Amino acid sequence: MTLPQLEIQLVAVVVAVACALPGVFLILRRMAMMSDAISHAILPGIVVGFFITESLGSPLLIVAAALTGLLTVALVELVERTKLVKEDAAIGIVFPVLFSLGVILIARYAGDVHLDTDVVLLGELAFAPFDRFTAFGLDLGPRALWVMGAALGLNALFLALFYKELKLATFDAGLAATLGFMPGALHYALMSLVSLTAVSAFDAVGSILVVALMVGPPATAYLLTDRLAVMVGLSAGTGALGAIGGYWLAHALDASIAGAMATMTGVLFGAAVLFAPERGVVARWRRRRRQTWRFAEQMLAIHLLQHENTPEAERECRVGHLQEHLGWAASFAERVVHRAARHGTIERQNGRLRLTDPGRTVAEDALERT
Amino acid sequence: MTDDPTPAALTVRDLTVAYRDDPVLWDIDLTVPTGTLMGIVGPNGAGKTTLIQSVLGLVEPAAGQVRIFGTPYAEQRQRVGYVPQRGSVDWDFPTHALDVVMMGLYGQLGWFRRPGAPEREKARAALDEVGMVDYADRQISQLSGGQQQRVFLARALVQDADLYFMDEPLQGVDATTERAIIDILRALRRRGCTVIVVHHDLQTVTEYFDHVMLLNVRRIASGPVDAVFTDENLRLTYGGRVGFLRQQQGGGAAEPSSEAAA
Repeated sequence: MTLPQLEIQLVAVVVAVACALPGVFLILRRMAMMSDAISHAILPGIVVGFFITESLGSPLLIVAAALTGLLTVALVELVERTKLVKEDAAIGIVFPVLFSLGVILIARYAGDVHLDTDVVLLGELAFAPFDRFTAFGLDLGPRALWVMGAALGLNALFLALFYKELKLATFDAGLAATLGFMPGALHYALMSLVSLTAVSAFDAVGSILVVALMVGPPATAYLLTDRLAVMVGLSAGTGALGAIGGYWLAHALDASIAGAMATMTGVLFGAAVLFAPERGVVARWRRRRRQTWRFAEQMLAIHLLQHENTPEAERECRVGHLQEHLGWAASFAERVVHRAARHGTIERQNGRLRLTDPGRTVAEDALERT
Repeated sequence: MTDDPTPAALTVRDLTVAYRDDPVLWDIDLTVPTGTLMGIVGPNGAGKTTLIQSVLGLVEPAAGQVRIFGTPYAEQRQRVGYVPQRGSVDWDFPTHALDVVMMGLYGQLGWFRRPGAPEREKARAALDEVGMVDYADRQISQLSGGQQQRVFLARALVQDADLYFMDEPLQGVDATTERAIIDILRALRRRGCTVIVVHHDLQTVTEYFDHVMLLNVRRIASGPVDAVFTDENLRLTYGGRVGFLRQQQGGGAAEPSSEAAA
C-alpha cells in the first residue's frame, strides 16, 4: 500500500465516521430525508461562499454553506407549520428550490472556475492526497483529513457532552421539555452539525453520497442492536468498514471511490437485513421454523398424554391416526414423530407411540401455559 | 390564593388555547388543592391533553396564567412529574425498561451529568414498585401495552415529585394493570402528592378519584366528586349521550338520546 492510498483510506474512514455519528439521531428521529435536503440545499451556500472567498477550502465557505443548511431546516419547519402540507412534502418543496438556485448560480457565474455540479454532487476522493495542508512550510497531510477530522471531532464532542440530553429529546421530547432540556435548541444544534458535516464532506464524497453515509451505517446498526450506545459504536464501525471496503472495491473496479463507498454501505445494510441476529430475515425464518416443529412436538405430546391409559389408546396412539386427529399430512406426521423420538419425548413400540417421562413433562408444561 | 398559607398545587386562571381559529380551551379557571387525586373527564377533543400540555408549557396558551404551588412552572420543574400518553413515544427506540425509568432522573441530574449507580438503584426500586423489576433489561418494544404503561409510571415515580400529571394512564391496559396503577396513585396521595389524571371511563370516576374536573373546551365543573359529578354536569359536558354512558350506575340517568347535545 502506498502512502496516497493510505491517506485516501484514512480520509474515507474519517468522512464515514463523521457522517455516521449524527446519522444515528437522524434515523431515530425519523429524519433521514432531512440529510438529503440539507446536503443538496447547501449548494447555493457553497457557491456564494466560493464567490466571496474564491477558495473551496476556506472555513468561511464552510460556515456560509452550513448556514444554508440551517435555513433549509427552518424553511421546512415554516412550511410544515402552516399545516397545509406534511413534513415529507415540505422537505420536497424546500430543498429543490435551494438546490436549483445553486445550479443556476453555477451555470450563470461560475462557468470558468473550478466549481461545477459534478464536483459538488459526487466529489473525488482520489484527489484528496494532492491537496495538502501546509503550515510554516511543513506538509501536514491532506487538507481534507484536517477538515473532516475537525468535523468528526466536533460531532464526537457534541455527542459525548449531550448524549443523555439527545437521547431523552429523541425518545420523548415532551418529557425533555418539561424537565427543562430545551429539545428545540438541541434539534437545531444537531441540524447545525449535520449541515456542517455535509458541507465538510461534499468536497471529498459529494453531497449525494453524504446522504448514503449519514443514513446507511446507522440504519444498519439499528438492525443489529437494541442499545443506543452500542448503536452509535456499530454505526461508526459500519461506516468505517464501508469506507475501507469501498476503497478496495473502487481499486478493483477502477471506479469512483465515493460511489464504491456508498455501494459498500448499501451492501452492508443488505447483509444486516438478511443476517441480523434477532431481526434479520434469516433469523426470523429460522425462528418460525423452529416454532413450527416445537409446537407440533408439543401437540403430539399433549395428544398422547390425553389418551394415555385410556381404552382407545391402542387406536389413538398410532402414527397413521395423527393424520385424522391432528390434521397432519402423513409425511409431516412421520417427521414430527421422528424428531420427537430423537429428542426422547416419545418412544415407538410396534407402531404404537408412548410418552416418555420427559415427554410427559413437555405436555404438562405446554398445557399449563395455555 | 394569596391569603392561603399553603398555596394550591395547581391554579389556572383564564387559560385559553387555540391551535387555529377555534379555541381548544376557552377561559379555563381551575384550582386543585394539595393532596387530591383528581380525574379530568370530557369527550374526545374536549382539550384534556391540551390542558395538561399548556400547564407544563408544552403548548403556548393564547392567554391565561398557570401557577404551580403558587409560582410559575419553570420554577417548580423538580416538583412536577409527567406521564405522557403511551402512544406519544416510539417504543422501537433502542433502549431498555430500566433506561427509560432513569430518564425520569435526568431533571435532577441537570445538564452534562450522566446517570450512575445511585440512579440505577433508584430506577430499579421504582420498577419494583410497579411490579416490573424482572423486566428491567427488556427491550421496550418487547413489553406489552400494560407493561409499557407501568414503565412510564415508574419513570414518574422516580422523579419523586409533589404534583403528577398523567395523560390516560389506564388507556388500553388490562384489569390487573388498571388495579395496580390505581393502587400506586392512591399510595402517591397517601404520601401527600397531588395527582391529576386524564381519564376516559365515567363508570370508575366515583371509585377512583376524590376530585373531578368536567371539561369540554370550557370548564363545566370541578371540585369534590360528590358535589360536581352530577347528571346535570355530565349532560352539560357530553350532551345527551350521558344517559348511555352512565347506564350501569342506575341513578336517574338521562334519556339515551344524542340529539340533546348542546
